[in-house]
Amino acid sequence: MKNSRQTGKKIGITVSVVLTICWLFPYIYVICCSFKPGADVIAVPPSFFPKTFSVENFTGLVERMDVAAYLSNSLITAVTSTVIALLLGSLAAYAIQRSGAKLSIFLVVLVLCLKMIPTSSIVVPIYELICRIGLYDTRIALIIVYAAINMPFVMWTMLSFYEGIPSTLDEAAYVDGASSLQTFAKVILPICKPGLATAFIFTLFLAWNDFLVSLLLTSVNAKTFTVGLAGFLSAYNLDLGPMCAGAFLFSFPVMVISIAAQRYIVQGMTAGAVKG
Amino acid sequence: MFFLPGALFMGAFLIYPIITMVIDSFYKIGLTGDRTFIGLSNYIKAFTAGGFMKQLKNTLVYIAVAVGFETIFGILFALLFELNYKGSKVVRSLMMSPLMIAPLVAGLIWKLMMSSSFGIVNELLARVGILSNSSDILWLADTRWSLLACCIADIWLTTPFMMLMILAGLQGLDDSMVEAARIDGAGLLQQIFYIKLPMIKPVLLTALSVRIIDAARTFDIIWAMTEGGPNSSSETISIIIYKTLTRYNNTGYASAMAVLFIIVLVAFTLVFMQSLWNPKKKA
Repeated sequence: MKNSRQTGKKIGITVSVVLTICWLFPYIYVICCSFKPGADVIAVPPSFFPKTFSVENFTGLVERMDVAAYLSNSLITAVTSTVIALLLGSLAAYAIQRSGAKLSIFLVVLVLCLKMIPTSSIVVPIYELICRIGLYDTRIALIIVYAAINMPFVMWTMLSFYEGIPSTLDEAAYVDGASSLQTFAKVILPICKPGLATAFIFTLFLAWNDFLVSLLLTSVNAKTFTVGLAGFLSAYNLDLGPMCAGAFLFSFPVMVISIAAQRYIVQGMTAGAVKG
Repeated sequence: MFFLPGALFMGAFLIYPIITMVIDSFYKIGLTGDRTFIGLSNYIKAFTAGGFMKQLKNTLVYIAVAVGFETIFGILFALLFELNYKGSKVVRSLMMSPLMIAPLVAGLIWKLMMSSSFGIVNELLARVGILSNSSDILWLADTRWSLLACCIADIWLTTPFMMLMILAGLQGLDDSMVEAARIDGAGLLQQIFYIKLPMIKPVLLTALSVRIIDAARTFDIIWAMTEGGPNSSSETISIIIYKTLTRYNNTGYASAMAVLFIIVLVAFTLVFMQSLWNPKKKA
């Protein structure tokens, strides 16, 4: 009996390891492709491992698109919008959570609904609005839009964290003479650091990975890396090598950070869900 | 009022646009921006021939296939990865690494792998013997396969999310329940179907609803792989809204579709919240 459970477990372990490798296959394949000479990527029949190691695709990538500019656009818009969304969102969520009025339930539901709105439909009016105020193709436009779109997410995450903090804590600070803003900044926020970290990482990735908004709102100056990468689609298939290199370059930092910060990511994804 | 700055910001850049959109949806807006009030015509157009019924069907198929497989795989994987052993954390981390990859990049990766002449997917299938020739299935150029191809990419990208949610649910379970069942002689399958799955039902439902909504609004993956083609066989509602806006410049009609889309998703969210989560737990 005991033995059969041991074997069962061994089988389970083997299967899970094999599965993981299979699941990572597409990614490994792209990494391999990005280090192949350009011609090998589109060779028939395709091969998995690079026959010769080469950085040809990376030099090709740099030739075909302004990698540095696009990357910095992506980075600047993602970081700035995240900071804005985090600041305003955490404040607003705090107010909603603590006000305790009937209204707050309505607001919570409203936040949730806003969070569920598909980007693809909201971009229609946003596009018009941005054009009208003359911000088309600027980083500012992207920053504003990302911050607005991601704020409901920040609020949603923070709401569940605030819930875990007893309001007696606020009252204690109040009795000690702290203003509400001081209470928030000096008492509540420090406790919520894990929540803030979770919201930060998520929002950052959402903005960094965004494609649709920047596809629609930028043309030359503020173009982000994802849009640049998609540019390889319209070009003929011969550019697949550099495309792989770009995909690798773009998502490698994300993979590293997400493995390093996995604790926060797991928290963010399961926030509100597990407590049921 | 701490709420103000955030509220103003969202009001200006989220709620105000939604309102203009609702208004726009009743107008016919020409290339030069001239507006004619046409009442519900845009909405009627959406539901009649040449409207978005085909895209609606595609979206539903996409949701059913992608979310269905993600759930099944997610449950299987979670049960497997629940095992604790030396190194299990490392394996779990690796498994979850696709989580944060940009959907666009996932789409590009799969486009490369599924391309007809030099795609590795067909090459592998041919070597294993499922396909007699590596160009038997033109994943992205065949109207029968294009939507399915997008589903596969979606499944690859988000099964880890499902697994993560379910795993979190499983780990929150009280071991003694399972232990008790085992002592009472429940087999492995019985433990899974009668104890574990029913107990994580709330988590499962939440994960499902989140995924259904996410799948409904998928844009990046499909855009990267097929741009909705060939012959609009993989066009979903997100794609048609975008195309109507940018290619056909029909802002009014695009707004009408977007409004419908938002209403459906919000309604779904509300219905779902009602049945599962009660906002008044503290009231």
